[in-house]
Amino acid sequence: MTTTKAVPPALGRGESPRRRKKKDGLAALGFLSPAIVTFLVFVLAPTAGVLYLSFYDWNLLSDGTYVGFDNFDKLVHDDRLLGVYGSTAYMALVILMVNVVFGLLLAVLLETRMPRWLRGFFRLSFLFPFVVSASAVALIWRFLLNKDLGLVNYVLGLIGLDRIDWLGSSAWAPVSVIVVNSWKTVGFSILVYIAGLQAIPAVLKEAAIVDGANAWTRFWRITFPMLSPTIFFLVVINTINSFQIFAEPRVLTQGGPGDASRTIVEYLYDRAFGDFDLGYASAIGITLMLVLIVLTAIQFRLSRRWTFYE
Amino acid sequence: MSRLLARVATFTILVLAALAISAPFLWIFRGAFSASDAELYRLPPTFHPGNLTGANFGKVTDQVPYFRFFLNSIIVSTTITVCQIVTCATAAYAFARLHFRGKNVLFAVVIGSLMIPIQVTIVPLFLVMSKMHLTNTLWALILPGIFSGFGIFLLRQHFLALPGELEEAARIDGAGHLRTFVRIILPLSGPSIATLGILCFTYWWNDLLLPLVMISDTDRQTLPVGLVLLAGRFSTGSLGTIAAGIAMAIVPVLVVFIAAQRYIVQSIASSGLKL
Repeated sequence: MTTTKAVPPALGRGESPRRRKKKDGLAALGFLSPAIVTFLVFVLAPTAGVLYLSFYDWNLLSDGTYVGFDNFDKLVHDDRLLGVYGSTAYMALVILMVNVVFGLLLAVLLETRMPRWLRGFFRLSFLFPFVVSASAVALIWRFLLNKDLGLVNYVLGLIGLDRIDWLGSSAWAPVSVIVVNSWKTVGFSILVYIAGLQAIPAVLKEAAIVDGANAWTRFWRITFPMLSPTIFFLVVINTINSFQIFAEPRVLTQGGPGDASRTIVEYLYDRAFGDFDLGYASAIGITLMLVLIVLTAIQFRLSRRWTFYE
Repeated sequence: MSRLLARVATFTILVLAALAISAPFLWIFRGAFSASDAELYRLPPTFHPGNLTGANFGKVTDQVPYFRFFLNSIIVSTTITVCQIVTCATAAYAFARLHFRGKNVLFAVVIGSLMIPIQVTIVPLFLVMSKMHLTNTLWALILPGIFSGFGIFLLRQHFLALPGELEEAARIDGAGHLRTFVRIILPLSGPSIATLGILCFTYWWNDLLLPLVMISDTDRQTLPVGLVLLAGRFSTGSLGTIAAGIAMAIVPVLVVFIAAQRYIVQSIASSGLKL
């Protein structure tokens, strides 16, 4: 009979990669399980649910009946849907531009030399609307944009401009949603830009100054390429966010007049919880998901042309 | 000379932007103290102590269960934030530091989930919640917010950027993954976790859609819906009361924001969000 001496377990370094992979597998399961469970129940199941419901005629009173592609047929023949998507895309695009371009302008301007407290004050005031609820913000602006009594038209009057029917005309209602949403969100973009700007090594800028490059050249040759991953992040995130707007049109204009300032989420909400047509609302949800996937894919594809990674 | 001009232009733009952002808040605070609708809409806005009153604030709490809304909002946002930080940080650690089969596929799923916002799945979420008899409870607002693909992505980027030497040392000392995660990774990740916390809290604090869909009892509503109710269904027509309600919703946020400003600004600014 031979006695085998217990071999001390090998330390991580000595283990074979395969063995390590296997051991990590259990740990990974443990670490991932909270996320996996919540993902399965609250993302994957409802996503499958949207697909399922879109083939049913489903109201809240009775469980649904299978109707095949009827809901999708309805999508194609829904004259309002295209209009709503048009106004959603219009508002989303302008909000995206304001965030990406105007946000960058303000962030760059904030880089100028100034006392610390002043910089702090500017950052703070730009960011503050971001933490206030959209419904509070929209309610404030409903007062300010009032045609006859609002502060905005009063200020326009002071500089000699005519009153604008901000909330009641189909030309200006979407502009109001754009103004209010951008006003609320631009501070976050500014802050993300500030982070990106701070990460650019000072050496690069100093070298360019020594070489005699002016501010304009420095911006396009150094700041912009170095900042491109940050810009890309903001383009993707702001696109996704601005296609999900709900509170601003709901509180400001109720989507009107007509569908001029209606967003797709508002339209979906009304079909689902106004008409109780849950099947059709699900079909609309699928279109929104497809739009977001396509837009993000296009952005990733295009980004290879203009983003720069060290 | 042109440098001076550039500086003047810079500060003019910055000051105008700061003014455009703060003026609406100042206006609503003044409006909250106005004794009549005419006073609220007085143009230009002026401050005559004689015309101002604090009575509007009392009317807010008479018309709607204001503090209940506030409490509900705090409970919902805080719970989601804590749960989201736990699920995101643990998952992010697995993606950043562990080797396991199917990692790339799972991570692609996480990124893909960014394109399926709650607005898309709101209908089946409502049906699931109502089958579980959770509609009209705060659970219906909390549970759908816990998973966040964005949060996992954000924290993973940070964990990847942390230097590995400390963990290596801990491993040699015999620390397991849980211990490494709690004792080394988490303490080094304050700013990025704070960023996630702030973004998560503000998102759910502000959300209007989910409570509108899930909650029918006024007593269980959150603040954003509460304000809409105050301005709509529960309104007595007094605009000063609505302004007071809005001001009451903003002041606590403002106080917390100013108190924690350095932390908020620093953490987002140092988190380097990019793709």
